[in-house]
Amino acid sequence: MPDWLNIFLRSVALFFLLFFLIKLLGKKHLSQLSLFDYINGVVLGGIVAIVVAHQDVNFWHGVIALSVWFIFPFTIDYIALKSKKVRNFVHGKSTVIIQDGKIMEDNLKKESVSTDDLLEQLREKNIFRVADVEFALLEPTGKINVLPKTENQPLTAKALNIKLAPEKEPQTVIMDGKMQLEPLANLNLNPAWLETELAKLNVTIENVFLAQADNDGQLTVDLYDDKLSIPSPTEKPLLLATLKKTQADLELYALETENEHSKQLYKTNAKRLGEAIHLVEPYLK
Amino acid sequence: MTVGSNVKGSYFTVKSAEAGLEQLAIKTSSEEAKKAFYDAQYLLSNVREDLKKQVQFLAREEAQYK
Repeated sequence: MPDWLNIFLRSVALFFLLFFLIKLLGKKHLSQLSLFDYINGVVLGGIVAIVVAHQDVNFWHGVIALSVWFIFPFTIDYIALKSKKVRNFVHGKSTVIIQDGKIMEDNLKKESVSTDDLLEQLREKNIFRVADVEFALLEPTGKINVLPKTENQPLTAKALNIKLAPEKEPQTVIMDGKMQLEPLANLNLNPAWLETELAKLNVTIENVFLAQADNDGQLTVDLYDDKLSIPSPTEKPLLLATLKKTQADLELYALETENEHSKQLYKTNAKRLGEAIHLVEPYLK
Repeated sequence: MTVGSNVKGSYFTVKSAEAGLEQLAIKTSSEEAKKAFYDAQYLLSNVREDLKKQVQFLAREEAQYK
């Protein structure tokens, strides 16, 4: 066998082998890798490089080395997945750096994190005053995660006691002018519905670059022709406005009439409408 | 516009809003939203019934505007 063919065949075989081994090792992002994971990857690559370039190395010896460096980390990862103790040993534990707003100097020293490192990492989280921190952890990857004190946390709907409608993920129903059947089916909608909605907007499907529908069946589209303006869905805001207007009208009638019975009737119904508005308002926004 | 025609207008608006709510209730795939829409629709149907009676009452009162 000529040398070039030998190298070619080794390269192709090891390319696929390495590809599948790395796939099997999991989906971790490079920044999540522990130091050992990283070294393991380099060793795998190194073995492949040596076997490909040095023809005096037996190909099968290379495969043995590869499988050892694959099977060991794979098994250790698997055991770590099952046992917390092994996991703590292999992947390390997180260390408390700040607790109850107080810096744990001993832990800092133990993990060899300097005060500057700590301040820098806090600044990265947009925290410039250590006094704003309630709790901070040093993760095994070396990152610091911070829980700010309650008054320094971003305001959420929960803190403001606002009721919000749960939002589900929208489905992309048209891509590059082509109808996507699976996302449509996920929303229990059919192609006929999509055609009707597009007809309402007065556009053809060929002109649609992207269209998304949310779980209330509201369609938003982006066209190839950016000069055409497309109305955004108005069904829900319109309904809310109608309800509010009617409620106001009924209150007005109640003020205008002098008939006691009618007054009462308008009032109770205005109240009912108010309840209805309160019920559906989060979903109509 | 007489009071009668105003109330009649409101009656039809409520009727249409009720149908709109039902449409949304059918279309949505979230159980919570579905329930809210149906509850609101029920309230609106009560309002519609009352307004219907009121429309009839006013029609009798304002017979001269017919």
